[in-house]
This record gives sequence, structure tokens and C-alpha cells, in this order.
Amino acid sequence: MSTTREGIHPRTLCSIAPPDLLGRLAVEGDPRQREAAVRALATSAAIRSQRAVMGYLNRQLNVNIGKMVGFGVIPERRLTIYDNKTNGRTFLPGVRARDWGEPPVKDAAVNQAYDGSSATYEFFRDIYQRNSLDGAGLELISSVHYGVAFDNAFWDGTQMVYGDGSGRIFQIGGLTRAVDVIAHELTHGITELTAALIYSKQPGALNESFSDVFGSLVKQFTLNQTAAEADWLIGEGILVPELGTALRSMINPGTAYSGDQQPGHMDHYKDLPDNNDPRNDNGGVHINSGIPNHAFALAARAMGGYAWEKAGKIWYTVLTTRLRANSQFDEAARATVDVAGTLFSSTEQDMVHDAWKQVGVLS
Amino acid sequence: MKLIIFRGGGFAGMVARTELDAKSLPRDDAETFASSIARANLREEPPPPPEKSWPDAQLYELCLEESGPTLNVRYSEENLPEDVRLLVAWVDGRPERVESMGP
Ligand SMILES: [Zn+2]
Repeated sequence: MSTTREGIHPRTLCSIAPPDLLGRLAVEGDPRQREAAVRALATSAAIRSQRAVMGYLNRQLNVNIGKMVGFGVIPERRLTIYDNKTNGRTFLPGVRARDWGEPPVKDAAVNQAYDGSSATYEFFRDIYQRNSLDGAGLELISSVHYGVAFDNAFWDGTQMVYGDGSGRIFQIGGLTRAVDVIAHELTHGITELTAALIYSKQPGALNESFSDVFGSLVKQFTLNQTAAEADWLIGEGILVPELGTALRSMINPGTAYSGDQQPGHMDHYKDLPDNNDPRNDNGGVHINSGIPNHAFALAARAMGGYAWEKAGKIWYTVLTTRLRANSQFDEAARATVDVAGTLFSSTEQDMVHDAWKQVGVLS
Repeated sequence: MKLIIFRGGGFAGMVARTELDAKSLPRDDAETFASSIARANLREEPPPPPEKSWPDAQLYELCLEESGPTLNVRYSEENLPEDVRLLVAWVDGRPERVESMGP
């Protein structure tokens, strides 16, 4: 392995102190030990940002980002984009491609990830007064060009990761082009630091749905669309045309592409096992998310105006203050009805209740 | 010898199937295929995935058909060994592969 790479390089770390020891101190030590350990990790030649240390701890030592909140925050740096150079997981984050405040570079994927992260950051700050994922200015890290012709984007517990697309499922360059995809991935970070919904079955489908909800809202916000004007599609125009127009439709689940199996009602809930089988999608998290997605779109349309003002605010409050790791659909539904009454009035409360009734979650 | 790769989960939640039969390959490439499979060590238990799944992580199943029973092995993006990743990327680069969507 080359030491000129900015990916995490265990050997470089070993030259200071065993990384496992530093990692453990960074998480479990007293405040002074934590600070010293983070500084030791961050000053190594290979890890140039404290945020990258957090990625390292997460991937190498299986330390969850929630345990790291409160350290490693560099307030003046909002986001950084890295280039994975097609090397995959062992080379995350990759080579620094564009720092916060730097002008656009030649690489379109880098600039799209930069702009999309920035738009998402501004949305949560301006609309819900949330300063980044943790509410305390956590730097947003993204890596583009992950893997070879990789048809996916994901959140690895500390950062966003985007493949280039193969041109057989996703259009080449498609995954960073859609701001709702970027906002979807970033919302996984907010969920992880708030409700921490487990990524399995109903809590996993709720986790997915919150990402689609705020993904769509960031898109609507950037386009200045009302709930009536919005297309309620996720990832519109990024699949190859033969497959379809989008990945998911929140207003009409199951219609986004040929083979879209999303239900829009509990009658068609797909009870799949969570058994690592790629066909079962962690117990149908991207399938059954159609039901809460549908409830949100129906509630937002009923309330009218901009969806982020009322429905979005209700869902945001529920995600960040009312849910727990194992929350099921009915619990989330009741919480949104409750919060609608607290934040607004019985009119909004009835509209939210009616939306969940239409999808068969509440009676 | 035939290798079938299923990929699912992921942001899209779609299932993609990719199949490559050694018989369809020129002899040299069939040998590279066999050695890539050997290097991927599919019979070895993969490292345990992290406690918490990565949201939208891709899930993989590799099915190796040789003489004898088919070998089925599952990975996720979190614990996909590097040599398996390279094998998958090699298969993706072969024009002889057969692809389809759905399980
Ligand atoms: Zn997701």
C-alpha cells in the first residue's frame, strides 16, 4: 500500500501507537484521554481530518458514530468530498478531492456530492434549525467513485458513499446527480444519531422511509415546489430508461419502475425474513417503506402548501424526539398524530390520522 | 464451472443476477476465472459484519456450481473480502456474462 494515499493506512498508525489502543481511548477514555487519542490519530500522515478518524474507528474497530459525538468536530469545516478512485471499502474515504470552501473542480461527481451535501445541510439548518447530522456541526464526509461501475449509494455509519453506476442499472454518473439520493443518504446519518431505528423489518422500513421523506423534501425545497406540484419520486431520471423513470414513488408506490414491488397499503405488506439473503432486503426495508412513504405524501398533500412546513416538521419532530430503535409502523403513526396536534391543530391531526388510515396502519 | 452472483438490498432495493459459465470463456480466461475463484476462498467463513448494518449496503450471494453440490455464500458490503470484490468486478467486466433483474 502506498503512503501517499489518504485512505486509512494501519501501518502509519502503528508508528504512533497501536491504533486499537488509541481507538479505544478515543471512545472509552476520560475526556482528556479522548482528546489526546483523537489528536494522535488525526496528526498521523495518513489521516488528515478528525472526521476521517471517526470513519477509521467505525470501520476498523466497529465503533458506532453515536459514541463519538462530542469530539472531532471542526466547526469551520462543513463538508469534504473524497475520491475513492474505484478501490472500494478498504480505501475509504480515499483521496481528498474538494475541501469545504474550495471552488468547483473538474470532476462532476465531486461537485455534485459537494452541492447536494451543502443543499441538504442548508435545508436542515434553515427549516428545522439543525446544525448538521448531530446538531453540533459534524463535518459531512462523502466519497465518490466507489468501487468499479458500482450500482449503489450508501451510508457506512460515518459517511456517504457513491458508486459511478454501471450503465446497466443506474446511468453512469446518476447516483450523485440526484439531490434526493444525497439527502436520503445524509438522513440515514440523522436517523442513526436520533431514533437509531434498527435496519431490519418495520423499524428498517421506517428508517428507509424517513430517508425518502427528507430526500424528497430537500428536492422540493431546492425546486421551490408545493406538495401539489412535487412529483414525489425518488431518484427520478437516474435509472437506465429501460428499467423505468425512478426508484420509488411516494404518492403511488409500486409504479416507479418495471419490477417495483413497493406496497402502498398494509394489505400488501411483504413480510420477508432478515437473513442476509440479497433477495430479502434486510426484511423488505426498501419494499415496505412504500407504506409510510405513502402516508407522508398523502398527509402532505392534504395539508397543502410546502410539504416541509407542516408534514415535514411533524415527521422531523417524531424522528428526532419520539421514536426508539425498535419502533413499528403503528407507533410511528400514533406519534405523528400526537405531534401534529402539539405543533399545529386538530385539523392537521385529523389529516395525519386519515393518511395513516388510508394506508391501513391506523383504523 | 459456473458462478452466479446475486446482488440486492442497496439504495434501490433491486435484485440483480449475473451469471458466468467457464465454458463460455476462451481457455486462458477460463483459467484466470478459476484462479480468481480459488483466490476468493469462497469456502472460508467471511469476517463477522458490524453490529449495526450500514443503511443501503449491498448484499451479495455467490453460488458456485462445480461437480458436486452448489456452494452458496453470502456477504454484505461491510464484510465483503477484497478478493471476492475483485472476482465480482472481473465477472462484471466479461462480455460473456448473462445478466437479469429480479430474483
Ligand atoms: Zn436508504
